[in-house]
Amino acid sequence: MTRDVAGIGLGLRYDLATELLERRPKSVAWLEIHPENYIDRGGRYQEMLELAREDWPVVTHGLSTCLGSVEPFDASYLKELGGFLKDLEVPWHSEHLCLGGADDRFFHDLLPLPFTEEAAQIASQRLTEVRDAIGVPLALENASYYAPQGPDGLAEADFVVEVLEKADAKLLLDVNNVYVNGRNFGFDPKAYMDRIPMERVVQIHVAGHFVRDDGLRIDTHGEPVPDDVYELLDYTLRKTGPVPVLLERDNNVPPLDELLSEVDDLWKIYRNATGADVAR
Amino acid sequence: MLADHAKAMQRVCFGAEPSKADLELLGSRERWLVYRDLVRTRLSNVIGVALARTKSAIGDEAFSRAIDEWLATGSPRTRYLRYVPSELAEFAIPIWQRTEAPWVADLAGYEIAAWEVRHAPRNPTPSAEFAFDSKPVLAAGVKVLRLAYPVQNEPTPNTGYAPDPTILCLYRDKNHRTIPRKLNPLAADLLEAWRAADQTVAESVQQVAAAHHAQITPVFIEKLSTLIADSIQRGILLGGHSPPS
Repeated sequence: MTRDVAGIGLGLRYDLATELLERRPKSVAWLEIHPENYIDRGGRYQEMLELAREDWPVVTHGLSTCLGSVEPFDASYLKELGGFLKDLEVPWHSEHLCLGGADDRFFHDLLPLPFTEEAAQIASQRLTEVRDAIGVPLALENASYYAPQGPDGLAEADFVVEVLEKADAKLLLDVNNVYVNGRNFGFDPKAYMDRIPMERVVQIHVAGHFVRDDGLRIDTHGEPVPDDVYELLDYTLRKTGPVPVLLERDNNVPPLDELLSEVDDLWKIYRNATGADVAR
Repeated sequence: MLADHAKAMQRVCFGAEPSKADLELLGSRERWLVYRDLVRTRLSNVIGVALARTKSAIGDEAFSRAIDEWLATGSPRTRYLRYVPSELAEFAIPIWQRTEAPWVADLAGYEIAAWEVRHAPRNPTPSAEFAFDSKPVLAAGVKVLRLAYPVQNEPTPNTGYAPDPTILCLYRDKNHRTIPRKLNPLAADLLEAWRAADQTVAESVQQVAAAHHAQITPVFIEKLSTLIADSIQRGILLGGHSPPS
């Protein structure tokens, strides 16, 4: 049976798993995993997932089934992914709106799509195809990008909305990505949020990012969440209502207490903005 | 066209040298070189973790050169980051056999085997206890490695390794670490026969003993019992599959 995913969650990552699974803090209401790290894998990862599921509902966030590629999907992988998600009883699965590979080669990073009608058409078709194949609701996530778009494309928010509407899809809204893109390319992140159909948002991501000496912001998930991102989260939650919020921390992982302090800050914002009183 | 765009991204990230034409198509030389760096750094990092001792033995420059050449030949092909080091090793070990000290290929082979054992799939579930008349069930990822140099001994000596042929069984212990265990040639062949799991234990013992011109004497049986008990205790041998009745 699918368990409720609500309130503030944390990404289950190898570097913090031991302490998290020992202490099982009540302030963490749910966990997110990347299925690629667990499919067809035993050992510590299998153990981590089994221990996590004893107490927490789990949602999944894919890294490799990127929605913007032009090659056909690997049907055997989608079948395997669907089986994995079914076993986990996830309420939804999410994938990035980006390009993860070309010519059967994987970037192992999230490269940006051009914000064109053609790319929106392809991404929406692929989203529908994946959703049908895996048999669970699928949300797309807005990605960060560092290279300027061509002059003839759509604005990023319009591109995201176009894909959402064409595919009648759900959205995993990454607040940090909107902030990073806004700062890197000079648009107002709140105006972006105003453009998003908030009824489609099923989950939110927040994270920290790295600021290079030249001012370029890189979405590293390796720094604490900055105040501006907290403020944008507050603005967003007031529009979405109480959708679950995940703190992403993948690199430069600090002691658990530091992360839990951020989780506590997120709870304050969540409760203030939504009025929701969710507990694990 | 999105397809052209994607191919240009691929060439910029993986090619030996990004072309001016691709960077112009994508629109920003400086920012696409950021992507090239991000992609290559992530791949290099996971390979460097898996092959840490090999990297230290041959030096950063030779190690990076191997990764650059591998990327330029059309990799990675796997969606799983944990399999990336194996793809690199398959490409680079034959090169290192020609260009590096003779024990380096053994070291890289040992490190990558240990990495694969650690990240192997879930263990199969036996349907029965271990028995001589059943097909054996081994833990996932168990490997038998035949080495010309004892590269499992750490730290790597400053002078490198002297030849000393060694056979190892690599397995994942209950704490999820890869453990090397020395084997004699007969035990190694038995373990490989058990891993193939296409014969009962009794059949494989008879076949391997014959191949080694070994008589099945009480001493042989005592040593076999010790090997089986040790393999069960270490979690190498999980049980058996009963033959269909």
